[in-house]
Order: sequence, then C-alpha cells, then structure tokens
Amino acid sequence: MRLATPGRKNGWALFKGLAFASPFIIGFLVLYAWPILASGYYSLADFSLFKPPRFIGLANYQRMLGDAKFWKSLYNTLFFTCIGVPVDITLSLIGAHILNMKLRGQALWRALVYLPSIVPAVAAGFLWRWLLNSQYGFVDEIARSLHLPQPAWLADPLWGSIAVVVVLMWTVGGTMLIYHAALKDVPHELYEAAELDGASHWRRFLDITWPMVSPVTLFQIIVLMIAFLQVFTQPFVLSKDPGLATQSAVGPGDSMLSYSIYLFQNAFTFLKMGYASAMAWVLLIVTLAITLLLLWSAKKWVFYGNR
Amino acid sequence: MHTLSARGALKSALGVAAAVALTVGLAGNAYAQTQITFSYLWGGAEGKALEEIIADFNASQKDIVVKGVSSPDMTKQLASMSSAKGAFDISDNFASNIASWANQGILLPLNDYKIDVSDFPDNVMKQLTVNGQLFSVPIASHNFQLIYNKKLLDATGVKPPTTTAELADAIKKLTKVDASGNVTQLGLGLTDVAAGLKTIGYAFGGDWNRGDKPTPTDAKFVKGLQFYYDNVVAPVTPAAYNKFVAGFGPYMSDQDSFATGKMAMVIDGEWRSKFNTQAGMNWGVVPMPGETPALLGSTWVDVSTIFIPTNSPNKEAAATFMKYLISPPAMEKFSHVLGNLPARLSLTKSAVYNDLPNFTVWLEALNNPNTHGLPPSLYMSEYNTDLASAFDQMLQGLQTPQAAMQSVADRVASYQQ
Repeated sequence: MRLATPGRKNGWALFKGLAFASPFIIGFLVLYAWPILASGYYSLADFSLFKPPRFIGLANYQRMLGDAKFWKSLYNTLFFTCIGVPVDITLSLIGAHILNMKLRGQALWRALVYLPSIVPAVAAGFLWRWLLNSQYGFVDEIARSLHLPQPAWLADPLWGSIAVVVVLMWTVGGTMLIYHAALKDVPHELYEAAELDGASHWRRFLDITWPMVSPVTLFQIIVLMIAFLQVFTQPFVLSKDPGLATQSAVGPGDSMLSYSIYLFQNAFTFLKMGYASAMAWVLLIVTLAITLLLLWSAKKWVFYGNR
Repeated sequence: MHTLSARGALKSALGVAAAVALTVGLAGNAYAQTQITFSYLWGGAEGKALEEIIADFNASQKDIVVKGVSSPDMTKQLASMSSAKGAFDISDNFASNIASWANQGILLPLNDYKIDVSDFPDNVMKQLTVNGQLFSVPIASHNFQLIYNKKLLDATGVKPPTTTAELADAIKKLTKVDASGNVTQLGLGLTDVAAGLKTIGYAFGGDWNRGDKPTPTDAKFVKGLQFYYDNVVAPVTPAAYNKFVAGFGPYMSDQDSFATGKMAMVIDGEWRSKFNTQAGMNWGVVPMPGETPALLGSTWVDVSTIFIPTNSPNKEAAATFMKYLISPPAMEKFSHVLGNLPARLSLTKSAVYNDLPNFTVWLEALNNPNTHGLPPSLYMSEYNTDLASAFDQMLQGLQTPQAAMQSVADRVASYQQ
C-alpha cells in the first residue's frame, strides 16, 4: 500500500479547499474585484462605455474641483446625511421604547411600523409627491388645520431638501426594530437596581440603556450613513415631473440633486463614464473617512461590557 | 439475418430524426423570414398606434416580421447598444441625442441605404446629419406656439396677442391672486419650462445656440428670459409663483394645469390639439408673438427620430422597415393618431389632419423662416440639463436671468464640442 506523503496530502487538501471555495472566489474576482479595478482605471480615463478608454491622468479629479454641480450634489448629500441620520436614530430609539412597552396588540404595532419598509421606494416616492403637494397635499392640510406654517415642500429649495429627509424617515421602522431587539437584550436587573437607588427615567436611559445599546447604535449609524450617502430613488422620484420626458432641475434650485443622481447623469446621460467613475471613488473615500472617524470615536462612547 | 441491437436501434432512430430535421429545416429555409425587434420608447396610445403600423407592415410582405416592444427606459436602450449583439434592430429617440451617439459609433450610418430625404425640411434634418452622413430619420416633428383658453380670455376681454407687448398686457389682465397673496390663475405659464423659455428667447430675436454653439448669455435670449420673469414671476413673487406651479397635476392628465384653467395661456406643442379637444376645452392657438412683427411665429423644432444601432443583428431588414415607417402613408397614420406634426413637407397639406382643431398653426410653422432648427452637437444633453437648472434658479428668484445664464456659460468650456 502506498501512503501519501505529507506534502502531497497538504496539496490535495489545498486543491479540494480551493475547489469548494471556487464559486465564491470566481464570483468575487469577476463581479467585485475586476469591476473595482476597472473603475479605478476608468476614473483616470476619458471613457464613454462605447469607445476604448483614453488615459488622461487625474484630469477627471481636477475637473471636480471646479464643477459647481459636483459641490452642490455633495453638499445636498451631506445635508441629507447630517440631518437624516441623527433624526433617524432618535426616532428609532423613541419608537423602540414604545414598541417595548406592554401594550395591547403590540405585535401588530411592530408589524405596522415595519410596513413602509417593504413598500417599493418608487411607489412611495410618487405617493409622497402628492402628500407633500403644497396645494392639495395632506401634510400641509394637517398643518393648516393646526394653524402651523404650510411649507412649499416641493417648490422651495430649503424645504425641498427637508422633504427628501422626511421621505427617507418613512422607512424608520427597520432601524426601530433592530433597536427593539437590542433593548430586549438589556438585563432587567440593571433597571431594577437603578430604580431601587431612586434613578429617574432619564437617568436610567443615560446610564443603562444608552451604553448597553451603544454597539448597536454604532452599527446603525454606519449603515444609515452609507445608505444616506448613496441616496438616489427618493429624490429622483420626488423631483421628477411624471408627465414630461424633458430635462428639468432636480428639485427646486437643484435642492434634491444627490451625489448618486449627479453620478448617474454623468454616466448615462452625458456618457462621461470616466468622470462618473472618479465620482464613485471620491464617494468611496468620503464614506471610508467618515466610517473610520466613527470607529475611532467609538472608543469614547461605545460600551462593550467586559470585552 | 441481422438482429437489431438496442444500441443499433438507437443509432438508426437518431439518424432518421436528423434526416427529418435537416429536410424540414431546408424546406423551412425556403420560406425563412427575418425577425427584427423594434424597441420603442412610446407607450399607451402612441404604442398602440405603432403596433397597428407594425401589423400593417407585417401583412404587406412576407420577408420580414417585426416584433414591437414598448420599452420607455432610455438608460436600458443605451445599455443595449453597448453590447456586441444588440437586443433590438431599430428604435426611436429625440434628435438632440443623435450627434453624440453617432460620435460614439453606436448608430448605423444610413447613407448607403439610399433613403430619400428630399421631402423633409432642412430645420428637421439639420440635427440628424453629422459631417454629411445621415444617422437617423425623422418620424414626427414638433414646434411650440401660444395656446390660450378662449373662455378665460373672453371673460377678461383680452384678444389673443400678436406682439410681446400685447402678451405682457394680456398676462397682467389674466393673472389672479387671492387676498392671501396666493396665485389662483397665471396669465401665462409653462408646461415644459425649458421648451417654453427657449421659445420666448426666440420671440425676442435671441438664440441660446447662436452660430451652432452654446450661447446662454446671448443678449436677446436673456432679454426673453427677463420678460418672463418681469411679467409672470415678479408680479406675484417667486415664492407664490413656485408654490402655485408645484401644485400642478400631472401633464396631460385629468389634472392638467392648462385644461383645469390654472393657466390662461401656455406655450406648448402641437400634440395639445388632440388633448385639449378630448379634454372638452374651448381653446385657440396663435403663432408665438414676437417683439417685432418680423419675429411673429418665432419657435424651434424638435424631432422624434428612428435609428438603427450599429449592433443590430439584422441591419438590412431594419433599414427596409425604417423606409416603411417614414413612408407617407405610415407617417401620416402615426402622426395623426398622436396628434404630432408629420416630418414630411408633402404631408402638411394632407386632409387627414383637418379633424385636429387649430392644427394648421403648427403645420404652417414648418415652412416659417422663424422656425429654428438645431445643429448636430455633442454637448446638447449636458447643455440642456444645465439650462434646466439655471432656468429654475431664475424662476426661484435666486439669480437674475443674466447671472443664471452666466453660470451656464461658465460650464460650457467643459462640454465636448
């Protein structure tokens, strides 16, 4: 009987391992690694999708510096993110506390808050166009009945940006349910001990709830930040006149021109795929920088128990 | 005697099957038809009209079968043209994209297909020919004139204007604001902001593309924009104007802003003839008023075109169908159903359009020297997007017309020319 040498045995094991992992490896190389590398090269080229790319160095990146629309789209997107993420987190935490209460029909309420998250974003966008209509919309109608100001949501540049954030908040239920699960994991004894010590509701939230759910908060902030930086559908639908095929501003005063929409315009309307690729890389760098900043700051405010 | 084994029986059966398939294939080949795919952006009534024309073509001959596919997604259309083998053989788009697409090499040059274009006006063909090479053919054309609501004008005693001075006076009389400062009726409005403002620019002798180059700061064009701002927006304030406009329902629906009387006059295209009549309106149309009598009827022409992508698998058959589509009977049927202008001059006198009220104002504009054609240009898509943003800045009252157009001029250098 011939025994396999250790070297041959290891080689065979490696081959089998690679063979089993090959669907992922091939998929990763073809669908992720190659497009990422190609996009990196295209960002340094004049490329339109239909003609071979022509290397132009950093010209696409240089052009961004003087492109007013690039800065406008970046400003709008950071506005959506800086306002939207804290509001989303706050609403989710409040909502999760309510969902955690012992209320009748609680399972139904939990299902209801999640319901908007499964409505297609395009359908929801068109619905919100009518809800925010400054003449016939329900939102302004309710404000009118409460003697509150009735903003021109889809006509005023400032309110246009806020309208996008409002529509994005509609799917807050997803974040809320994750918080709800996190709240369930907070040991009840901690609240009982604090209560015996005479801690108020607010003190119990600050000293027990907030630290205990802080790892989940970090996760939620990063995920939401990435989603808000890439926002496309909601502003695209809100700003689009459904009856016209011609170009129009993206919301009043281009207030809904998100980074992704401008990237899309460059790629598929102006056929400037090289410039769009460069924009994609800048977005990646911005996202990475904010994520690293958040992870660095996490040392100061995220509580991991005994770990 | 040989007995047939199981393997032998299988071989024999396969042999017979192959022979039968070959025979049927060869026989079928004698009657082979080429199937081509016509992917069109239209849907609804337009799509239905096209399907009728496709059915007529399929019934008229036996060599080619056309399969129509309604696909209103322009991004998908463009993506299909980037692959080696195309998903469709023939499609449609607007003339403003033709030069850019031809430059990318994705449109089939048509000079070799001997398409007779002598019946098409120069201002229509201008955008479709790049360096002497034809890349697309027109199936319908469009221009913009001043449409008015007869009921509202009669109630105010206003006569349809013929000069921009009369237009300004009419706007003043027809604009209504309630006690709270909210607009309840605009004297003049725009259903398509960019198309309307460009038309007003021409009415003052301006041109946003003078000398076939982007000229957003053209003095007379800016004067036209200033006219709209001074007479329509400023009197009611930009905030009230934009709040009113933001409440408009979808274009050409039951909530259409002109059909529901929110605007007394509007600058719009010939397709309104059919829509306004179906909406039960009492309406009229006059040539676009000019600053001087010589500028009466100043407008510009937009073109719906048909093209064959370079990656079409069946170019010859697609060209044959293209010729049919732009033949007088097919074009007449198509344009009539849509209420669009035919691209052929010979059809402008056709009696078939007589049932479209006031249609002659747009038809006659096809021969008017004040009707401007656009050049084939690589920058048009980006220029139009920038103009749309600048027009909005102006209407929001955030920038003066001059400053808004200067912001576009600052971007012109980055266009592909």
